[in-house]
Amino acid sequence: MTASRRLGWNSLLLGSLLAVSPVRADELAGPRYQIQGFAAQGLIGSTNNRFFGDSRNGVSTEFTEAGLHGTWQALDAVRLSGQILYRRAGESDRDGLRVDYAQADWQFYQTDVSQLGLKFGKVKLPYGLYNETRDVPFTRSGILLPQSVYVDNSRDLLLAAPGAFLHGASVQEYGAFDFLLGWVRPNFDSPSVDYSFLGNTRPGKLEGKGALGARLRWDLPTDTTLMLTYANARAEYAPGSSDTLAAGKVQFRNILFTAQQRLDTVTLTAEYGEPRFDTAGFGPFLPNSHRVIQAGYLQGEWRFLPAWELMLRHDVFYRDKHDKDGRLFAAATGLPAHSMFARDTTLGLRWDTTPNLMLRAEFHHVDGTGWLPGPDNPVFLSREQRWNMWLLQAAYRF
Amino acid sequence: MAQAYFFFWRLVLLTCLLSPLTASAGIIVNPDVEGHSISITSLRNIYTLRQTLWPNHQPIVVFVLPDDHPAHVAFAKEKLGLYPYRLRQTWDRMSFSGMASAPIQVKDENEMRARVRATPGAIGYTSKDMVYDGIKTLRLE
Repeated sequence: MTASRRLGWNSLLLGSLLAVSPVRADELAGPRYQIQGFAAQGLIGSTNNRFFGDSRNGVSTEFTEAGLHGTWQALDAVRLSGQILYRRAGESDRDGLRVDYAQADWQFYQTDVSQLGLKFGKVKLPYGLYNETRDVPFTRSGILLPQSVYVDNSRDLLLAAPGAFLHGASVQEYGAFDFLLGWVRPNFDSPSVDYSFLGNTRPGKLEGKGALGARLRWDLPTDTTLMLTYANARAEYAPGSSDTLAAGKVQFRNILFTAQQRLDTVTLTAEYGEPRFDTAGFGPFLPNSHRVIQAGYLQGEWRFLPAWELMLRHDVFYRDKHDKDGRLFAAATGLPAHSMFARDTTLGLRWDTTPNLMLRAEFHHVDGTGWLPGPDNPVFLSREQRWNMWLLQAAYRF
Repeated sequence: MAQAYFFFWRLVLLTCLLSPLTASAGIIVNPDVEGHSISITSLRNIYTLRQTLWPNHQPIVVFVLPDDHPAHVAFAKEKLGLYPYRLRQTWDRMSFSGMASAPIQVKDENEMRARVRATPGAIGYTSKDMVYDGIKTLRLE
């Protein structure tokens, strides 16, 4: 029981509960830990607007991702895992090295067909297909994930947060079921989240008050995956000195639908959600609002050779379902209407050069600036509606 | 392009079938694993990390060959009905999110046999459906 002693305050709880677990403590063999990692560098060029650095006037090299992931099976029923991440994404992400997540997963019930567990710590948030591994280039469908659903603008909110999730899985004749249900305290305090929720960076601080998250996943025997994700997060604003905003509240709710069909070498994916977003109590400079966002994409991936994959995606994002073309917004604020939507058509190519090295190329044609990263494009009026972007990425894993 | 793709896989499979030493890929386990056969569903659940315990609650230790090893390609396609890249996607999704450990990768079939022989609860595969000392071969039902 030396392992549980290292867990400190948890040891008593875990020790006593493990006694009732059906897993026998003396039977685990094989290595108890695993370490893996990756490093990726991107090159980005664009017309009219900037993305992750100054990609408009030259080639931006400011998209770097590297991670070190470790898992330790401390006890038969307890797995500790975490990831250290380095990320640079132009002006939008300059935080460098950080702890991505660090969690303990206690599987208190296990049989050969079912599991039930509790994970806690700084946990990865379940959100759609890709969120939990969104910074691992190999697990994404492109160099960039569909920005409508996986907005890099508010990624801090979706990444990982202190809290706990109950999770379970069961394999049945009609497919495999997974669920996650939990409570976390999400991180609202970042410049890009300020941009997307409060329209600009603000002197005060948005503090996450608590969020409820749930995901149901069903993998059918027909190679189909169906998924529902629910998220409900609240935050309160603490005004800074000489702040024009009062102590307001924001709330974010969403149900995200996911469907994926795998047909031999083709994978078809669709995800769709209508996030609801409310602000109240910020005073005259940020009127109360209730907006329904519309976000979704259709994506096809084709492995036409064992190491080569082609990807085509159409991704749409409307900041206000009832003002899709932004005309009402433009009339009310005098700001460009194209900041209220974005339609992105993406063509991507992936080459798994060796099992350790992946090269990717991607082209985006975008109509609208709905998810254009604010920190990279600080001057609102110089943003342009139509823009193109190409990206190259080399990713290495070990 | 699609034709070239299928041609490649056929070539791989054909190579495995024509090689004088190979019959069809065999599923091997440590002798302490109970039973003499395994269902296709169970095998697929084990290799997609959904089943982590043997029916007697002994933890399963999964071994694999590199993604581009011919025996791995044949095993994935013939026994699991999955392309190696789909298996890798599943392992990456499960392991990087902290939900499961990825299978342990060995460099060749000699190491595969040695590790399966030495590791309680281990499962692996070889290109030859043969009997080896100190390893149990499972029949696929």
